[in-house]
Formats: sequence, structure tokens, C-alpha cells
Amino acid sequence: MKRQGWVLLLAGVMLLIGLVAGVGAEEGVTATEIHIGQWGPQTGPAAAWGSVARGTDAYFKMINERGGINGRKLIHHMFDDAYNPAKTKAGVKELQEGTGMFAWVSGVGTAPGLAVRDYLMERGVPWVGPSAGSLHWVDPPHKYLFAVYPLYALEARALCRYAVANMGKQKIAIIYQNDDYGKNGLKGAREELARHGIELVAEVPVNVTDSDLKPHVMKLKKSNAEVVLLWTTVRHAVMTVGISKAMRFQTQFMSTSTCSDFPLMMHISKGAWEGVIAATFAELPDSGYPLLQTYKQEAFDQYAAKGERWGLFYYAGIVFAEPLVEAIRRCGDDVTRERLVQELESLKDFKGISGKISYKPFDPNDPSCRQGQSQTFLVQCMAGGKAKQLTDWATID
Amino acid sequence: MDMKRDYYEDVQLFTSGVVVFWMAIMLAALAIFPFLATSYYIYMANFLAINVIVVIGLNILVGYAGQVSLGHAGFFAIGAYGTVILMTEVHLPFLVALPLAGLIAAGFGFLLGLPSLRLEGPYLAIATLGFGLTITQIIGRIELFGGRQGLHTPELFIGPWHLESDRDFYFLLIPLTILLALTARNLIKTKVGRALIAIRDAEIAAETLGVNLMGYKTLAFAISAFYAGVGGGLYAFVLRFIEPEIFTLLMSIMFLAMVVVGGLGSIMGSITGACLLSWLDLQLRNILSIPYLGKWLEALSQEWFSITGVSNIQLIVFGAILVLIMLFEPLGIFGFWIRAKKYWKTWPF
Repeated sequence: MKRQGWVLLLAGVMLLIGLVAGVGAEEGVTATEIHIGQWGPQTGPAAAWGSVARGTDAYFKMINERGGINGRKLIHHMFDDAYNPAKTKAGVKELQEGTGMFAWVSGVGTAPGLAVRDYLMERGVPWVGPSAGSLHWVDPPHKYLFAVYPLYALEARALCRYAVANMGKQKIAIIYQNDDYGKNGLKGAREELARHGIELVAEVPVNVTDSDLKPHVMKLKKSNAEVVLLWTTVRHAVMTVGISKAMRFQTQFMSTSTCSDFPLMMHISKGAWEGVIAATFAELPDSGYPLLQTYKQEAFDQYAAKGERWGLFYYAGIVFAEPLVEAIRRCGDDVTRERLVQELESLKDFKGISGKISYKPFDPNDPSCRQGQSQTFLVQCMAGGKAKQLTDWATID
Repeated sequence: MDMKRDYYEDVQLFTSGVVVFWMAIMLAALAIFPFLATSYYIYMANFLAINVIVVIGLNILVGYAGQVSLGHAGFFAIGAYGTVILMTEVHLPFLVALPLAGLIAAGFGFLLGLPSLRLEGPYLAIATLGFGLTITQIIGRIELFGGRQGLHTPELFIGPWHLESDRDFYFLLIPLTILLALTARNLIKTKVGRALIAIRDAEIAAETLGVNLMGYKTLAFAISAFYAGVGGGLYAFVLRFIEPEIFTLLMSIMFLAMVVVGGLGSIMGSITGACLLSWLDLQLRNILSIPYLGKWLEALSQEWFSITGVSNIQLIVFGAILVLIMLFEPLGIFGFWIRAKKYWKTWPF
């Protein structure tokens, strides 16, 4: 008899758990919590980008401090993948199948992201704002994958347009990394210049592992370029600028948003970065933009660990999460994945601390339906790493 | 005791009923496992199995033949890219492409084996290190290999069987792993194995006994590279995406660490070493969820090591475990096993 009692009790408890949890409720969502996952390298070759995940973490804490979203707190699960795709996949699977994530946000790196993209898409788990400007995310588009990071081609177009239209330059050259990052920049520059009826005077490819850039700079110098676009790693960009200075090659350098953290760039280049013009995809660190100030005071000042720096790589974590948070807010009480996708698709000119973000209803043939940001503005590096804003936010078509 | 009286006793797979019994249990567990576990644990099992394959191969080179390699990530990469390219460009079926890619890796292994005739110890380590680093650079520059943008693996079919999930792949991978482990065990018990061991123990003595140094040393490299190549080919399909930066120096070092921690010159050691270290590699990040200890470690790390907290402590713990194992049992995990066996044989004396 006693044994039967136990079985009954157990059945009763399980039934109760089932009822409380709400049968058929959305994975990762309870009455009081929404679980969001994120990976980011805290060790390994890309550890410098680890601050992205820490930025998101502080942002979520700030939201929770204000009472969460419609009464639900955001539970942030972040893990270190050391930029190793095998670990990314392991961690994502573990969190997804263990705790159960409602959605994923950010996630640094093309290779780690590509290792989990199919897994997340097959399960229909939304993923907002991969932190890498790769075409892989939107071409072809995926129903549950929403890109925030602007495409590099777009930045190249904005820079070329400014050089030709505002500065009246005709001789433009590019030094680009020999991969899809660099080639996107090359493509954008060619397209934009074709509109003005001019061609690049030099196209110099550079490999990630090249350690001597003198021959590359020689080619640039021979072309007598008035403007040189830097579509390389931070290290190579700094080397190019430094060698040019040593060779007395006077030219206007322009660079992507990856090199737009001016205090950092000035530090690494020992001051040679001054005068460089860069595209940027978010407000500047010392900008007076009210929302950015709010984030600085309520997220960064409150929750950042000591030694953390308020820079682009930190609040990029907020940039990538903003559209997700906004869409969840618009879901109201009905926090389901299908509803979230609908709400994301209905975002029109949503403005956080980056350019305006818009998505469109899913169309398998239109990459732009999942490319949220298409705005950028240009800044110039001044003495001491200060940034001078050259243009306003502008949409580049 | 373990006295062997003839050759067949030595090569026997099942030395007693007890061994048969436990082997059967293990096989049954391996067969049931994918039906009980979630896809995450199956993925982890796959990851472990691939490391087991590579480490068994590396142990043949390091543990049995006494050579060293810090370039196995290179063979691993060759296998991964070879398999994918042979399938997408030459349209070979997976079961042909995989061993073929293994053979290509073996070819490179043979070439790398040539300098080993003159180089020893640290010098050989540097030569192989250079190889491992170079291979990924070369792959990164060739358009056919997808350059630095990497390659997606094609859909995997074996005859009519479409392997889609991690579970499907598990059923392919585990039998392959067992097959490769048994092959390695058999190899060691033959003339080749004895020649390799002889070279390891005393090169000159082995040569005077008629062991062809050049033949066997390069053979050891080739076999070892074949295992790494096959492992790499399988790895590509576990990740479903490969790019050159995955195959880092750290990967080569991890393989070597697995061999040493598991136990040099032991198949069982290779298996346990590979399993333990890859498991720690994947799971140590959860160290912070241990009650009390986790919080304390995080605070400690944030206070003294870095703002990132978590991850640094995880690497320190990982390193500490390696040091402790080497300190207390230089023979690796296999050494623990031997000691435990001896202890129980003579128990309670």
C-alpha cells in the first residue's frame, strides 16, 4: 500500500509541475524569466572582443533593475568559447538543450557563428545580431537570423562618396585583407566609384599573416593615391599608416568601423592615427547622445568590472541586443518565437545607439530583409584620440 | 600472473570471461546511449570519439615509436579539407573520400617522417611545429579550399542512409572508432609494432638487429598521420563547417597532452586521456556553477587575474590538473590503472 502512495504522490507532483510550467509554453520563457544565450571569447586569439558579451550582460542587468520586460527578467547565459567553433557548438547545444534558451544574441566571430547557424535555424531559435560583418548571415537570409552589424561594403561606399563628393578627391586606392572582409570593402569601393565614373588607382591585397607591409605601401605610394582605404586588421592598418609616414607618403587614410575606436588606435599607433577618417556604426563613446549617456550611467557605471573600458567594443554588446529587447517588449505578454519574429520584422527605423534599424517580412530571395542596419556616419581622429564628427547619420543605398 | 606462453595468447583480444563480460556491457552502453542522451551529449561523445582516433594514432608515433609531433593539427586539417574537397569537387562518396583523405595525410606524414631520421627530441618538435603552422597558412591562401572564409560540408549520404543529426553520425563514428582502435592494437602486436618499440628503446640496437630505421620511422609518421587525417575528415562533419583558423597550434598541443596524460604506449591510455582532456576542455567552463566553490573562484579570478573572471580560472584549473597528474603518475592515467590492478590482485596483502 505504501508503495502505491508514493507512486500517486509522484504522479501528482509531476502533474503540478506540468501545470505550473504551463504545458506547451515557449522554450526559455516562464512567467518571470526570459532566457537569452550568448557566446564570446574571453580567452584565446580573439579575447579582445570578449567585452561585447560583458556589455550585453551589463545592459540586461540594467533592464532587470528597472523591472525587466513586462514583468519578466532577462536571464543572460554567456560562456567563453575561446573563438574555437567546436567549443561554441558544444556550449550552444548544452544551453539550448539543458536550460533552454528563448533566443540568442550577438556571438562573436564568423567561424564560431557558422558552426552553430544551421543548428539554431533548424530548431527555429531566433538569433539577433551576430558580431561579425559577414554576408554569411543574410545571404541567403534565414527566417530566425537577424543581422545588425552593417555590411562592410556599405561603409566603403560611404567613405568613397565622401572622398569624391565632399573632399573632391579623384585618386583613390585600397589596401584590403584577402578574405571576405576585405573583398566586401573592395566591392563597395568599386561600385561607388563606378557611379562617379572613376576607378581605383591601386588595389593591394594583404594576407592576415603578412608581417612586412613595405612592398604593399610602395605600391600605394607609386599610385600617387590621394586617399587610401584601409580594409585590414587593426594591426595591419596601424602598420600601413606608420610605414607611410616613414616613407613620407602623404595621403588621407580612411578605415572601417573595426578601426574606429580612436583612443585605442592612437595608443597602438603611437599617435600616427591622427587625421584618419573612419566609418562608424554606433554613437561615439564621448557623445552627448542621451540614450548613450543613460547606458553609461546605468549599465556601465553600475555593473562593469573594475578595469573595464567604456569603448565601442563594450557597448557594441548593447547595440546588438537593442533590437531583440525592443521586439520582446513589443511582444507584450505573448512572448513566443513566432511573435518575436513578427515583431522584429515590423521594426521600422528603430533607433537605439546605432543607426536606424529596419527589417522586412521574410523573403528567401532578398538578403536585405534580414540586414537591419544600413546607416553609418563618418568621424575623423583628432589629437588625443578625440573624434570629430564629419557627417550625420546617413542611409547608404 | 600475466605470463604469456605463446604468440596467440599475446594477440588474444579477450583474455578471460571477465573481459568479455565488461566489453559486452560497454558495447551495449554505447549502443543504448544515443537513445537516452540529448543531442548535446551525443555531440560531446562524437567530439570525444574523434579525439580518441587522433590520439591513438599519435600514440603510435609518440608512445610506441618514440618520436614527437607538434604538427598533428596539420594532418587533421589535411584530412578535414581532403574529405570535403574530394566529396564536393571530385564527387566521391564519403566512405571513399574519408580513407583517401587519410591516405593523403599519410603521404604528408611520410614526407615529414624523412627529417625525423636526422632530427631528435626538441629539434624534431620544432620541425613538426613548423609543418603544422605552415599547412593552415597554405590552405588559407588557396581559393579552392575556400580561403579564409572556410567551407561548408556537403550533405552526408552513405548509400540510401542520410546522416542528418548528431545521433546518425554517432552510429557511423563509434564503430569506426572501435575498428581503428582494434587495428592499432593489432598493429602493435605484430612485427611492425615490435620494430617501433625497438626503435624507441634503442635506435642503434634496433638497427643492428635488422630493423630498417628509415622504413619504420616514416611508417610510424604515415600511420599516425592517417589516423589524424581520418579524425579530421570526421571532425569536419561534426562541425559542418571548417576554416583554417580552427586548426591551431593549441590543437596540436592538446593532442600531445592527451597522449601524455593518458599514458605513453597504451591504447587504453589513449582512449582515457582523449576522453578526459576533451571532456575537461568542454566542461570546465561550468566550474562556476559548482555551489560555493564556483562563486569563490570567480571572485578570486576577478580580483587577481582579469576582469573576465570565469575563463581564466578555467584555464588555470585545467593546467593544474595536468601538472598534478604528471606529478603523481608520470605514466598517466594508464599508470593509475596498472597500480589499481596490482593493488587489487594482491589485496588484502
